[in-house]
Amino acid sequence: MDYNFSEEQELLKNAAKGFLLKECKPLFVREMENDPQGITPELWQKMAELGWMGVVFPEECGGIGGSYLDLIVLLIEMGYSCLPGPFFSTVVLGGATIMEAGNEEKKRELLAAIAEGKVFVTLALTEATAELSPERIAVKAQKDADDFAINGTKLFVPDAHLANYIICVARTEEGKNKEDGITLFLVDAKSQGVRITSLNTFAGDKLHEVVFNNVRVPKENVLGKLDKGWPIIEKVLQKAAIAKCAEMVGGGQRALELVIEQVTEREQFGKKVGGFQAVQHHCANILTCLETSRLMTHQAAWRISEGLPCEREVAMTKAWVSDSCRSLVALAHQAIGGTGFMEEHDLQLYFRRTKAAGVYFGDADFHREALADVMGL
Amino acid sequence: MDFEFTKEEKALQEEVREFISKESTPEMLKETAEQGLGDVYGAPEGRKIIRKMAAKGWLAPTWPREYGGLEASEIVAYMINEEMGYHGLPFSFVAAHMAGPAILRFGSDEMKKKWLPRIASGELEFALGYTEPQAGSDLSALNLRAEDKGDYFLLNGTKLFNTACHVADYHWLACRTNFDGPRHKGVSIMIVDLKSPGITISPLITMSDWRTNEVFYEDVRVPKENLVGEKNKGFYYLMTALDFERMLNLGRYRRVFDELVAYTKETAVGGEPLSKNPLIRQKLAQLSTEIEVVRLLYYQLAYIMEKGGIPNYQSSMEKTFTAECAQRITNVGMDILGLYGQLKEGSKWVQLKGKMEKLYRNSIVLTIYGGTSEIQRNIIAMRGLGLPV
Repeated sequence: MDYNFSEEQELLKNAAKGFLLKECKPLFVREMENDPQGITPELWQKMAELGWMGVVFPEECGGIGGSYLDLIVLLIEMGYSCLPGPFFSTVVLGGATIMEAGNEEKKRELLAAIAEGKVFVTLALTEATAELSPERIAVKAQKDADDFAINGTKLFVPDAHLANYIICVARTEEGKNKEDGITLFLVDAKSQGVRITSLNTFAGDKLHEVVFNNVRVPKENVLGKLDKGWPIIEKVLQKAAIAKCAEMVGGGQRALELVIEQVTEREQFGKKVGGFQAVQHHCANILTCLETSRLMTHQAAWRISEGLPCEREVAMTKAWVSDSCRSLVALAHQAIGGTGFMEEHDLQLYFRRTKAAGVYFGDADFHREALADVMGL
Repeated sequence: MDFEFTKEEKALQEEVREFISKESTPEMLKETAEQGLGDVYGAPEGRKIIRKMAAKGWLAPTWPREYGGLEASEIVAYMINEEMGYHGLPFSFVAAHMAGPAILRFGSDEMKKKWLPRIASGELEFALGYTEPQAGSDLSALNLRAEDKGDYFLLNGTKLFNTACHVADYHWLACRTNFDGPRHKGVSIMIVDLKSPGITISPLITMSDWRTNEVFYEDVRVPKENLVGEKNKGFYYLMTALDFERMLNLGRYRRVFDELVAYTKETAVGGEPLSKNPLIRQKLAQLSTEIEVVRLLYYQLAYIMEKGGIPNYQSSMEKTFTAECAQRITNVGMDILGLYGQLKEGSKWVQLKGKMEKLYRNSIVLTIYGGTSEIQRNIIAMRGLGLPV
């Protein structure tokens, strides 16, 4: 057994941390929450130059040929700094889907462009039911000669406003079994009939309603096989869920630091607040939430990275981390007190993001139910 | 990064499991109940199987070969311990896992030669002699007096909640050799023959039917060579040992969880297995997740030691989390069993051999012994986060 990152991963972690501490300070995060784009071209280019977008893409597709675990190292630091912008949507959702499903030509073209920071991609999956199961996919893609025509509405689509391509998960056939009949379409966001409306959200994510009104997609833009898109999405959802856990772990780390800063500074009743047992116990509980979340995330990420069966660990981890990191930040607020309730204090950035992250790609209840299936209950 | 056992470790795990299932006898399990032993080692039937395991080097696998070990990794040691706990064997070995390592670390060469091989072979068992009526969480308040009489110590005082004294051979005793100066600098550790004249062992029955003891020392003589390490350094030895030996595995609690899962699959109400009830699914999935968390915390301790480190706040975190998880397992188990949960072993209609109610009662002590959860959280805060004392 080995609980540590490799030396290279440690180097990657430290470099990423250093970069983000400089380029992604809390003030910037706050500015981007109010900025319609949500990212600056300068920061995006710098990240591309560091090779971050292409960390998991094969070298022949312009990437570094790194592992999913390497990507997780980055995502933890991104969570620590509340990195805004379309990295998650473009790389973890879009890039992962193209890697799983795209043919060689598409991969080379698109992944290389993503790695260079030139192209944004996102995934349009959930609809009004806000559920993740295949039977909830109702947006229809009708075959029409050599093309398809997509009709319907997708919700909560991240960074659609920036996307060059929107991968639309649509129903091409009423399947006998729920996982059949779903196809992935690479839609040019500028296509006629695509209408994007921004949603006003709680945690700084740029989410959108995307309406597809008779959007024509050529058959070359089908990713993977016709009617067989859902298994790809399942894999992408696993990776996305654990990637979100990595962000939560990074955020939890920062929240803990904010607590320690406060309780070792502030004095009441003649001593440091951190000297009172009740506060110490909150801190012990915070550290336990953080460490257990970190260990579970590392394990699931390692299993995904190694191509090991991971249904069980992914479900456990997303459930655990969603709940624990939420508790962590709530405890952090309690330990910090009145100061932490102010908008000016950074903890609220983490409080909002952790909750949103806990719900994305399946909340704790969803994953416990998935785990119950794996357990054969 | 790697969170699985190696091929060799998996093979050994299989070997240990096979061995245990072959060698575990109904007599041993019966003895556990009758003697009120729980996980504790020392009674005759238990000794038979443990001696066989010890012969394979599995009792103290990390020790040097000259003292009866296999020089195996900590991961292996932890794995074997977990298997023993899961299969209902005694897994709490004071001699092999607490006294032994302390002797290895702090004892003289003569002491090591005299005691370690007999401990590693399972021949000897010790009982912990720390707690006193006025010294629980605040162990430095211990008072059992050891007067230096030149070629022996003369001991007088009382120990409380000293488990296994009635089946163990020796008392691993913390006593006071100095009454001046700071309290924690006057403690010594001694090995005391429990058959010594002057020792009276009086049973205390717990709410989970397991037995602990009050032990009275009246003018008990302990030979000088039974002092472990240096006089008055005992508290330091004790505290160091705790960092290494605080680990707790879920053992029989994990097993009862597996049995509970099987029970929900096999038990139907109105034609539907309990396992289809959404609330039951959520609770069992949650517990299964926590059990996985325990696994990661538990082996992390072994990993830290493998790398030459000393688990610090991580031991406290593991012990606390595991203890609280075990309590949740039995609480959920009792809820799922419902009225059946009340039935004791042997009753008509009893389920799971009445294990759930017994473990439910026993689970109370898990967050109390070995350092209360409150103390552990203090340690996590102070040593893990540097918060002020």
